[in-house]
Amino acid sequence: VTERADFLQGTLDLLILRSLALRPLHGWGISKRIRQLSADVLQVNQGSLYPALYRLEDRGLVNSAWGTSDEGRRIRLYTLTAAGRKQMRVEQADWRRFVEAMEQVLEGT
Amino acid sequence: MFGRGAQLARRITRLMRRGAHERRMDDEMRFHLEMEAADLQRAGLPPAEARRRARLMFGAVERFREESWDARGLRQVEHALRDVRHGWRSLIRSPLLSGVVVVSLGVGIGVNTAIFSWIQAVTLNPIPGVADSRDYYLLQPRAAMASGAGQAQAGGTRLEMSWPEYQDVRDWVPSFEELIAFRTVPFTEGRSGHTVRAAGQLVSANYFSALGLQPRLGRFPSGDVVHAGEPVVVISHDYWQTRFAGADVVGSTIRLNDRDVTIVAVAPQRFQGTVLGLDFNLWVPAEMAPLLLAGSGELKERGMRAYSVAGRLRADATPAQAQGQVAAAMARLAGMYPETNRNVRADVVPYWRAPAGPQQFLIPALAILQGLMLILLLAVCANTANLMLARAATRQREIAVRRALGASRSRIISLLLTESMLLSLVGAALGIVIAFWGTTALRAGPMITAFPIRYQTDMDGLGLAVALGLGAVCGVAFGLAPALQLLRSGQSGSLRVGKSWATRTKARGALMGIEVGLALIVLVAAAIFLRSFGETRDTATGFESDGILLAAYDFSGRGVDDAELRRLTDELLLRVRGLAAVEAAAIARMVPLDIHGMSVRPFTLPGRVRSDAAVDVSTINVVTPGYFTTMQIPLLTGSDFVDLKDEVAPPQVIVNDEFVRRYLEGVEPVGRTIQFGDRMYTITAVAATTLYNSFSERPTPIVYFSYRDRPSAGGELHVRTRPGGELALAPEIRPIAYEVDPLLPIYDVRTLDQHVEKNLIFRRVPARMFAVLGPMLLILAAMGIYAVVEFSVSRRAAEIGLRLALGASAARVVRQVMRDSLRVITIGAASGWVIAFLIYIHVAPGEPLDPAVFAGVPALLLLVAALAAWVPARRASRVDPMRTLRLE
Repeated sequence: VTERADFLQGTLDLLILRSLALRPLHGWGISKRIRQLSADVLQVNQGSLYPALYRLEDRGLVNSAWGTSDEGRRIRLYTLTAAGRKQMRVEQADWRRFVEAMEQVLEGT
Repeated sequence: MFGRGAQLARRITRLMRRGAHERRMDDEMRFHLEMEAADLQRAGLPPAEARRRARLMFGAVERFREESWDARGLRQVEHALRDVRHGWRSLIRSPLLSGVVVVSLGVGIGVNTAIFSWIQAVTLNPIPGVADSRDYYLLQPRAAMASGAGQAQAGGTRLEMSWPEYQDVRDWVPSFEELIAFRTVPFTEGRSGHTVRAAGQLVSANYFSALGLQPRLGRFPSGDVVHAGEPVVVISHDYWQTRFAGADVVGSTIRLNDRDVTIVAVAPQRFQGTVLGLDFNLWVPAEMAPLLLAGSGELKERGMRAYSVAGRLRADATPAQAQGQVAAAMARLAGMYPETNRNVRADVVPYWRAPAGPQQFLIPALAILQGLMLILLLAVCANTANLMLARAATRQREIAVRRALGASRSRIISLLLTESMLLSLVGAALGIVIAFWGTTALRAGPMITAFPIRYQTDMDGLGLAVALGLGAVCGVAFGLAPALQLLRSGQSGSLRVGKSWATRTKARGALMGIEVGLALIVLVAAAIFLRSFGETRDTATGFESDGILLAAYDFSGRGVDDAELRRLTDELLLRVRGLAAVEAAAIARMVPLDIHGMSVRPFTLPGRVRSDAAVDVSTINVVTPGYFTTMQIPLLTGSDFVDLKDEVAPPQVIVNDEFVRRYLEGVEPVGRTIQFGDRMYTITAVAATTLYNSFSERPTPIVYFSYRDRPSAGGELHVRTRPGGELALAPEIRPIAYEVDPLLPIYDVRTLDQHVEKNLIFRRVPARMFAVLGPMLLILAAMGIYAVVEFSVSRRAAEIGLRLALGASAARVVRQVMRDSLRVITIGAASGWVIAFLIYIHVAPGEPLDPAVFAGVPALLLLVAALAAWVPARRASRVDPMRTLRLE
């Protein structure tokens, strides 16, 4: 998992943006969702989620606000901004190109 | 750009609420751990194990907290704030230096900002109260020079538009959004025995709507009202306050030129009319001209050119396009109405460059002043750089230690620049205070002229931006030098003291020379201003102003003919002379030393042939008999004008002896004739030459006409009483005037001394400025030189000590230090002198050089400089040689 963590670091932003695409989530919800969507293959080092979240917030790609959970607890909810949505599309496209290129290389050998 | 700003704003707010954010992070992480643990528990793990696993999966909380802090970009902001705190502390540690820098920068920035806001008031906001008034242009007609001889009109080729012309042109120039027309008219307002003079404008029906004005009270007259010829008036906000005490006047009636007129609106507060610099009291529709101005035919006659026409250009139109359309329109008019328009052209001129109004001499004067003040600011910057360099030298160790401990170059530069930026921004803040105070200086000086002058100078956003911008530029300018210097020395010299004195003082010497040069330019200017202002106290005017009371009156707008004017004026004079305290009285069209200057007219002397094609012109005035007695101007030969009622004598003039010297050398002047226009005048006397327009003028020829030959509706009563008794006499004038004519407005009652004093405002304001700035600059220069010399001798302490130990005399050491410093100073001063000289002959061509200024100021500056260099040099020579040697 640890070796993969470095590799994931670069794509963590995309994973976060992607997981927020449907609806606002709190931090733990984001980490849970990433695991769910990837069928537990992508095990994000959970703590590193937060610096990444704050960086995205600083860049204006996500917003955050206090909200209340179903159990009535005060939680910080993250929302994708319009700029975030755009950035997500760009990174998605980049990622796909990268995967295709990798595929080609791997099949070619 | 915007995103960056938002990001910075977010970071700063976050930093301010650092505690809140740390709590938020803790909250989130704790919540995360709990949720994860609960999740694991649900999967079947015991509680303690679930918590342990959750923490394991989360990783090191502390590390993420640190990373989060960085992630928010707060590190840089934190550095910057630390620099500010550190800079502030180090400035507080040397309060004297910081104080000098802040005050000198504050004054430098303050005067520059104040002058800028004056210029801005005229050029960028020429119509106060009207948005975007800088986009307004005038259609300025002029008489094209006719090619045939004899028809050329010398001088007065500037014209106005007639009302019918305006009606035509209005629809022919699509580049303008809408054209408005207006003309200046003095009105008599009030009932018999209670009249005042009001400055008014006759305006086109679309005037207020085209200017985009909203009334303060009431409604501006609609086109229907205007075209129906209903007698309505709009009054200014000031007039409303001063004459009607802010009462609800809309709908009430006032007497205007002895007609009932209804006030329909009060103009918005800032609006003062549409002649640059003039402050109008009221506006009436031009359609009322025949009613108010005794049946004036100006609405129909193409020859009566009295209206100014102006408008805002459409957003998509250029002045060049507008000029083309206007030229075409004027050509069309010339074709349709050759007898009035054959030679009339028109130019499109930016409103603020209108050829009429006080800004004609104000703008160039302000531009010169601004230039000088920028030089002053440069000198202040050079001085500050010197002081900062000297101070930085004492910090070389501190910087070296910082470098040694691993601080990067950019961190040190940013630390030093932060310090100088702090200094200059505090200076700018002080400058803004000074500028606020300075912008009121022009407002505070009411000038007595035929029409009240007012400039609404304000410090607005642009003014503030200029002040802060100047501050920032200064901060970088004088902050960079010490920063670079320190870095260089930090690199090579590390922790050692001394070394390579010569190379580093070169830059400092150059700065000192530049400062002295710049200071000399400003000091020369200051001396010229102060001397020319001082001269006004000593210069003999040629007339005796003590004991003269002035009062203006105006019969205009009443349709009084020339014969009646002569009769009324004669009677007015007769009654005034009848007052017990009055020794003599006369009337003149113009008062000498007035801010507007006297009129100039072309003339021809029969028998005189000029070598070139130009025309002789002379200053003129129109006076009644008794004027020369009243003013105590001697008549050198000949006798005064004939009585106002005389109908026999031919038209008469009196000239001054300068006129005789220039044009009538060697002939008997009395009895000669002069031609003005198509009329011949006989010289009856020669008067002594006096001052007419300014204290510094050279002897000027003048021609006095007799009021009998050129009566006019308005004039200035000149009443002589015993000196000191003028103001006691003042209340007696108005009742006497009402005896002659119950509607005659008397205004601007003041002594001749007051008149002269008030009209000196454009000399007094700069003179006062320089009276403060000159000495300040001299002191600053002395401080700068002192700091540099003091620093250099302290660096050479070892060398000096060695020389003293080897037997050099103290005097010799002083001599050498002085020689080094004075060489640089002299070079700087000489360069400054040459520049000042070049500026002077450019600005005042043909004026003689004032030796007291051009020799005295450099002498004074060099003396002060020598003293400032001598003090530290002498101290250096007194040190104990053994002590300094041991230090090494």
